Amino acid sequence: MFSSINNRISQIHLTSNVKQTVVAMLGVTFGISMYIFMTGFMTGVNDIQADLAFSALAHVRIYNDGPADNSNIARKVFPNDLINVRNAKVIKYTDGIKNSTSILNTLSKQKDITGFTSQVNINVFFKNAGNKVNGLVSGIDVVSEDKVFGSAKHMLQGNWNELKYRSDGIFIGVELARILGLKMNDNVNILTSEGVSRNYKVIGIFRTDVYNVDKTKAYIAINAARQLLGVNQDYVTDIQIDMVDYNNTQPLIDNIKAIIPYKVESWQMGNQQLVAGSSLRDTIAKAVSLTILLVAGFGIYNIMNMTINQKIREIAILKAMGFSGGDVTKIFLTQAIIIGILGGMVGIILGNIISHLVNRVKFEVAGMHHLPMTYYPHNYLFAFLFGLITTFVAGYLPAHKASKIDPVSILRG
Amino acid sequence: MNDIILKADNIVKHFYEPEKFQVLKGLSFEVKKGEFLALVGKSGCGKSTLMYVLSTMDTDYEGILTIKDTVLTNQSQNQLAAFRNENIGFVFQFHYLLPEFSALENVMIPALKLKKYAKAEIEERAYKNLEMLGLKDQALKKVTKLSGGQQQRVAIARALINDPAIIMGDEPTGNLDTANTQIVFDIFRELAKERKQTIIAVTHDDDFANNCDRIIEMKDGQIV
Repeated sequence: MFSSINNRISQIHLTSNVKQTVVAMLGVTFGISMYIFMTGFMTGVNDIQADLAFSALAHVRIYNDGPADNSNIARKVFPNDLINVRNAKVIKYTDGIKNSTSILNTLSKQKDITGFTSQVNINVFFKNAGNKVNGLVSGIDVVSEDKVFGSAKHMLQGNWNELKYRSDGIFIGVELARILGLKMNDNVNILTSEGVSRNYKVIGIFRTDVYNVDKTKAYIAINAARQLLGVNQDYVTDIQIDMVDYNNTQPLIDNIKAIIPYKVESWQMGNQQLVAGSSLRDTIAKAVSLTILLVAGFGIYNIMNMTINQKIREIAILKAMGFSGGDVTKIFLTQAIIIGILGGMVGIILGNIISHLVNRVKFEVAGMHHLPMTYYPHNYLFAFLFGLITTFVAGYLPAHKASKIDPVSILRG
Repeated sequence: MNDIILKADNIVKHFYEPEKFQVLKGLSFEVKKGEFLALVGKSGCGKSTLMYVLSTMDTDYEGILTIKDTVLTNQSQNQLAAFRNENIGFVFQFHYLLPEFSALENVMIPALKLKKYAKAEIEERAYKNLEMLGLKDQALKKVTKLSGGQQQRVAIARALINDPAIIMGDEPTGNLDTANTQIVFDIFRELAKERKQTIIAVTHDDDFANNCDRIIEMKDGQIV
């Protein structure tokens, strides 16, 4: 490629004024490295938020949201008659999910699911020595709960798997323990809304770093919870599901919604604010960094313009010797592209270095230790490509102008 | 066969700034192969303008220009550039060499563009040209390090590299002292005589003009 005379001229132009070339490169380098750093950082923040959210939230949740069909039952039986029902009331039909086994079977056949777990969640009062706290006792399947929520890693004291063997055991959140003055091996009393009261022994204390959870939640074995409510083995209140791609929950929901007569809800449906927050952060990050890249493009445009103005007599001479307008465009466009490629490569390396440096800054909030950062290859690729495109456009406009120069007016002086 | 290397047929040109002004008023003439032609006239008579029309670089004219039996009027810019590359060599008043390149490279560039010969052969021919002009030892020097006279000779070597049909010069000795003017003139003389090189030179220098084969004198856009 370099044997062509056009390329040789481009090469000489670039190397004869190294300082100018380097300055042009630096613009691209800066733009790309900032894009990589900011996108890496913002994605890191989003990922952390998602992790935090998903430590307490499953991707899809199945639960009993009240009777599905509160339309006129009489109309179902006599569809063509005139029916008037006054003071319609909803009777207490059924709480919770009764035929969970068949539902779990359906779920185990779905291929987008990475894990699911059943829960029996009960609103209770926790009582100790006259102190009373309102909260939630979560009857869990110890193994699958950890698989979906990663709960085991939140244990401060005690061993997660012990709950399997102790139907009288309970794990409580660290703030709940603090408020009620409970330590390991103390007893805590649970009072349900039906008035059932039972004691459990604290065999573990956990911290999720979500304050409300740590203040109001406790875990017992799922069968112990069923006993508390007086229901059978088939009864659950929630089924929590994790998926391969949490951004893509709709296909699964569409699949199972028809067969499952309970509410099937994605995390997006129940937590619009998380979705909004995440996508707004993404937009800001991209907008800022693309702006920086654009500014770099302006830098290149300026420098190419300057170069061409300086070399206007050379361009006229080349045209006199028989170089066409297209040749002239190529000569200067090549320079711009080389600047873009070199600047881009340095920019990627620099962006990576900056990312690493920022990643090491201490940040002890909400369970994090350092500022978050991601290093996704597609961000690097996109940054490089966008830098190249910006450079190309920024270089093309002056190069095209150069090709239209009238040699006669210049040579005549 | 056809001895006429250039034919101008009723060339008319106007300037539009500051107001419409007819600078070339219907010029017709022929140039034979091997002629050493001087184009003279007072300042503003249109001789440089005419030369740039003949050079194919100025396409804003009426009339017909034919070089080497090819009609050049109404050809596209790209076609004219290619024609220029192969058939016309230029020597300007200000030598207009590319400053970042050496003398040798400057001479080679039009040939590298034409791609008629391989690079090695082009280099050899460039050396020969420089040698003929007495610049063999300066071949690898950057042109900015050469004297004015030397640079002009490099420009001539460059103009010759593709064995052009015509060499066109716009005041080729305008920037040179007497000694160098004589040297350049002698070179042109020899090219015309020995190599049958057609040369058209615009010049202010009467001595230069009087020693050419033929003079075309212009006044107010017409040949006298």
